[in-house]
Amino acid sequence: VSWTPPSIRVRLTSWYSVVLFLMLVVYATATYLAVRHEFLEQLEDQLHDDFEAAEGFLVPASDGRIVWSSERHRDPDEDQDRGIDVWAADGQAIYRSGASTALPPAPLPAATAVARYESLAASGRRWRTLTGTTLVGGRSVVLRVSRDEDKLRAQLAEILVVLVLGLPLVVALAGVGGYVLARRALTPIDHLATEARRITAERLHERLSVPNPNDEIGRLTAVINDTYARLESSFDQLRRFTADASHELRTPLTVIRGMGEIGLKETRTPAEYKDVIGSMLEEVDRLTNLVDTLLRLSYGDAGTVRLALEPFDLAELAREVTVSLGILAEERNQRLEVDAASAVMATVDRLVLREAVTNIVDNAIKHSPKGSTITIRARSDCNGALLDIVDHGSGIAPEHRERIFDRFFRVDEARSRDSGGTGLGLAIAKWAVEVNGGQISVESGPSGGSVFRISLPRTTATVQPTAGEHARRKRGDHL
Amino acid sequence: LVRVLVVEDERKIAAVLTNALQTGHYDVVVAGNGEEGFFRASAEVFDLVVLDIMLPGRNGLEILQPLRQRQIHTPVLILTARDGIDDRVGGLDLGADDYLVKPFAVPELLARIRALLRRGRPSDGLRLKAADLEPDLVARRATRGERLLDLTVREFDLLEYLLRHQGHLVSREMLAHEVWKEPRRATPLDNVIDVQMTRLRKKVDCQSAARLIHTVRGVGFVLREGEP
Repeated sequence: VSWTPPSIRVRLTSWYSVVLFLMLVVYATATYLAVRHEFLEQLEDQLHDDFEAAEGFLVPASDGRIVWSSERHRDPDEDQDRGIDVWAADGQAIYRSGASTALPPAPLPAATAVARYESLAASGRRWRTLTGTTLVGGRSVVLRVSRDEDKLRAQLAEILVVLVLGLPLVVALAGVGGYVLARRALTPIDHLATEARRITAERLHERLSVPNPNDEIGRLTAVINDTYARLESSFDQLRRFTADASHELRTPLTVIRGMGEIGLKETRTPAEYKDVIGSMLEEVDRLTNLVDTLLRLSYGDAGTVRLALEPFDLAELAREVTVSLGILAEERNQRLEVDAASAVMATVDRLVLREAVTNIVDNAIKHSPKGSTITIRARSDCNGALLDIVDHGSGIAPEHRERIFDRFFRVDEARSRDSGGTGLGLAIAKWAVEVNGGQISVESGPSGGSVFRISLPRTTATVQPTAGEHARRKRGDHL
Repeated sequence: LVRVLVVEDERKIAAVLTNALQTGHYDVVVAGNGEEGFFRASAEVFDLVVLDIMLPGRNGLEILQPLRQRQIHTPVLILTARDGIDDRVGGLDLGADDYLVKPFAVPELLARIRALLRRGRPSDGLRLKAADLEPDLVARRATRGERLLDLTVREFDLLEYLLRHQGHLVSREMLAHEVWKEPRRATPLDNVIDVQMTRLRKKVDCQSAARLIHTVRGVGFVLREGEP
């Protein structure tokens, strides 16, 4: 049997009720004890007053005995609830009022030198008594005043009943109120869930309505809407990628097929056949390159890239790239410069990062005018290492900047395809930088053109390669 | 005659391999599945085995390992569609001598086979010379006839590589790996290779009657006297 936790509103109400119940129990107990204490104190004060009054009625008679002087003020009703008893030192009763005669006699004066309160029971009634010794005319007598305690107990019992019966009632009422409040408070969340369910993959452009953006629900809705926005942009990206990828993959296939069909249509000279086959192979080459690059990117997506991390100088890497691509810049009369005051150390996979820099510089060479200068600037700051690739080309329009690193994105469709690019160079660069724990961005240069910035953290230990793996990787790379 | 065993289940690829190897004057034996491949490789004598990894029944690695355990040290070139480092290293650790990822370029396959067959043999003192083009490997200079060619370091490396594979096709892939020492061929590098090759050709062939460096469309380059 599986137990499913009850809804939040039930849980909230239960917790609320339990806490309220415990608090009320403490409160009621304290109240009852305080009242009881107060009642007893009052009773004892009355006994004390009675004692002092009774002392005044005891007078020595002419024969030397002590007598009760007056019965004038006696109120018969009151007499039912109070009593006065007086004994001589030898235990002889001097005076006994009606109500308290059932009580046992008080002990001798020796035991009652200090006045004391006690509760006594007689013939089914409880009495509170004050017993003490007092001197009348130089002779000590034992005086006991008593008052009925049952009335007080009955009152206390009544209070207790009210408290004990009222408490669950109050808790139950509070629980109902709490449940209603919790439901009211949580209703917007239910609405939110209903609304959110409506937004499916096909309707990702829709957003949840925000009645009040400043309350808790409003903030939650904002967060959910934000998530939808990101989801939508990922979906868009994926859709674009799928469309672009199928286009890019189908183009060479179409060419190969077309060339083959035309080649077979009629008998041709060997030179013509060579031409046909050659151009088919060119397309195969393009396709191979494309598939390789896509596979690498998808390995990267799956997060299964192993890095051979080692510390090295980014300025050195920049110089390496300028040497290897220098010939392309030369063809266009461009200058490649490295601007680095000192060594800029970073711990990354050298080959992977070099690929990123190579692709960006290659991109800069392609899109910069003849005779311009492309600068690779390396420096460290407090957060890590920075590598800026500054060109003086036409720059990238702000609306394209966000998509420039997308797979297959081309600012100028026609031109780039002719220059042999796959449209994946910058996507690979982004991948290569990010896999190394860095970030890549593009901005406008100070004098037109663009600045591609690669920032690498101080230590980029996303994956720690073992020494053996490093060695193996090196072997693998030279195959 | 050099005997080569090709273990490959894909009929068309086997046909391409057979054809390529026969034009290279090798004696080719094809095994169409893993069991037959293992049987032949352990029972007969070959100079080289070209081994596909993804085979039905018994895969390439399961052929390679018992072969090496039986002390059969025929050079083995592995073919695979997977180019993960682990796949490559796995094959090499089991005793393969070289590795080629599908789709491979036939010129590169032939170059690697030549390299494997040359391995362990004393250098045959091959003179790197083509027509009137003569390199000086020690001084790292080259002359064409009377003319001293003004070559950069990279250009000389490239020329030397072309000369070593004289008469054979050289793909961009091979140049990327062997001359530029890059682990992977990429578009920027392709452009670099093309520009470099254009410059080298200008220096080597421009003032001479006979062209030596030829571009073979869709495949790569070849250094050869006469027409490609």
